[in-house]
Amino acid sequence: MSASAPRRGVKRFIGIDWDFGALKTATPTYWSWVALLATFVMIGAGAWLAYFTRGGVVMGMRDDSAWGLWFTNYMYYIGLSAGGLVVYASVHLFGAEQFKPLSRLAVLQAGMLVMLALLGIISDMEMPWRAVNMLLSPNPTAPFVYTGSAASLYMVLCFIDLWVLITGFGGHKLAHNMTLIALPAAIYLHTTTAFVLAMNKSRELWHTAVMVPIFLTSATASGIALLIIFAYVVQAVTDIEFKPSMFRSLSTLLATVMIIDLFLLLVEVLHIFWPTSSAPGHAVRMAEFVTGRYAWSFLPVLILGFSAFALLARRPTRHLPAVQLTASVLYVVAIYFKRYTLMSMGFAITPLGLRAPFYVPSAVEALLAVGILAFGLLVVTLAVKVMPIEVPEHEDEHEPALDVGESLEPIGADAPDAGEVQGEPAFESGVGRL
Amino acid sequence: MAGSCSRIADRLLRGRSKWLLLPAIIAFAAVSMLAVSPAYAGRAASGELLFYPCSSCHPVGEGASDALPNRFEGHSVTLEGHDRLGEGDAACLTCHDDPAKDPGKLKLADGNLIDIRGDIAQVCFRCHSAKYEEFKAGAHGKNKPKCTSAGCHDPHAPGSMYADALLPFSGSGFQVKVLPEREAFTPFASPPSPPPAETPTWFSIFAAVGLVAAGGQVVRLARGRQKR
Repeated sequence: MSASAPRRGVKRFIGIDWDFGALKTATPTYWSWVALLATFVMIGAGAWLAYFTRGGVVMGMRDDSAWGLWFTNYMYYIGLSAGGLVVYASVHLFGAEQFKPLSRLAVLQAGMLVMLALLGIISDMEMPWRAVNMLLSPNPTAPFVYTGSAASLYMVLCFIDLWVLITGFGGHKLAHNMTLIALPAAIYLHTTTAFVLAMNKSRELWHTAVMVPIFLTSATASGIALLIIFAYVVQAVTDIEFKPSMFRSLSTLLATVMIIDLFLLLVEVLHIFWPTSSAPGHAVRMAEFVTGRYAWSFLPVLILGFSAFALLARRPTRHLPAVQLTASVLYVVAIYFKRYTLMSMGFAITPLGLRAPFYVPSAVEALLAVGILAFGLLVVTLAVKVMPIEVPEHEDEHEPALDVGESLEPIGADAPDAGEVQGEPAFESGVGRL
Repeated sequence: MAGSCSRIADRLLRGRSKWLLLPAIIAFAAVSMLAVSPAYAGRAASGELLFYPCSSCHPVGEGASDALPNRFEGHSVTLEGHDRLGEGDAACLTCHDDPAKDPGKLKLADGNLIDIRGDIAQVCFRCHSAKYEEFKAGAHGKNKPKCTSAGCHDPHAPGSMYADALLPFSGSGFQVKVLPEREAFTPFASPPSPPPAETPTWFSIFAAVGLVAAGGQVVRLARGRQKR
């Protein structure tokens, strides 16, 4: 796809060609989808207003369930964002060129998901300006200070990364250096998010050191799974095409991370129930999730998780899109159950040993969560249409696949290439299928 | 030394002596228990009266007599914790009816009286309403029949616990100022239900209209897909 004449409706802003003309040619189906999302965003805004004006009484959270749906979603969105970084780092740090066509999409996905997670926290504060207090008078013993600041930092990093990728500013060298910043930042983010749970001494099932590795593997696996789904959806509704080899590589990576994730989970369960190791509090609490009131949320994690792995484990069928998509959907759903379970593990039985009433999100709470999700989908829907998300083919031509050793060297020679990208007008991304 | 000990043990276990071993152990255990048991229930080893069922000395109901049986000369009750209820008799009268009228009656929140052998948890409810709800739900007290006397707490010193649940005024009460024997973790019943979530009326209407609109858009999307 070589440089072509600028399309009508293309506006250059901050070095990016925004193809607003594509919106004018969008199909009614596209606009129906946008209107649907916008409706849910409005409902979510109304829910936020209800929470803002009436206070916590409109939410389902009470003393026993101090954190609710927003926290489940926070963990889930933060986890899902890991997929973007895996792809991004694979390309720019480890030279995995097969993932390159997906890099912009991956970083966009990561940034948006972290934004949704942050919106969850801010909405839970009732008074959004309370977020400033975290900066003015942070409590250094509260893990939320670290995960909240890490999420903010990581979101900004993702959007800067996206800008660097699209504009080509700084070439591969800057992209590589950005990865060197973003990778530790992502590990820090996921670690501190796990610390929010693991550092609670009084919540026995949260208080485990293996929480951090489980969090990292769950995040990576679900993130990659969502990226596969996202890529297939983008491929279906636009003219952007991804190579089957890319999906196969992603699926192999997904299966590998998935089994590590499931292994860690089983180790934790075994550790809790092993006769000579189990602490009574742990075993009784965990029994709630295996045979008790919360079994419906924990058992699907194992069933869906192992089913997804079984689908991808077979090499002869791993390349099939249906298999990849089914396994990815199963795992993304499994991780949502896992996040819900994880939250409930701290609240199902209170630190005093009382069985807490079953937490059910209120209507306001649920619609607020739906509104936040719809906001993310709306932004992505518009971004895929308007922003140059497709990686131009000529980038691949100028940059042959590198092995790991080569990719780690500064590539100053790529700067002119980056300049070409920067100077290139909006490429015919071909988003007109809708 | 160790060798000689083991030889003695072998000899004891091989010979007839082994048949004497078991009775000897039982006898030793019985003597040990007698040595540590209190003089009688209700009185500590020091002789201090810890707990004695009120009704044994103060018969309740018909035939109540001022004379105390068993050569008791009466005793004073020291309030601990509940001493904040008032000075002297005023503290007693917070819960007890006037002893000159009906000493076996306790006062309820609504002013009615309840027999001292009845559901006296209702008396505790006057001040400890939240804890009473937990007690009624079984979350607090593990479904013991009463909060005090026959339950766990000494009504005059609620920080003191009875070692075991006692039958109502069975006369075998024994009170210790320790928590009950430590038990393995067992989750109890649920605490009182939290207040339900409220949904503002304006938001219900707003959300309903929005959801109907969203439903219409879904239908439109589905039709558009069919046409395609």
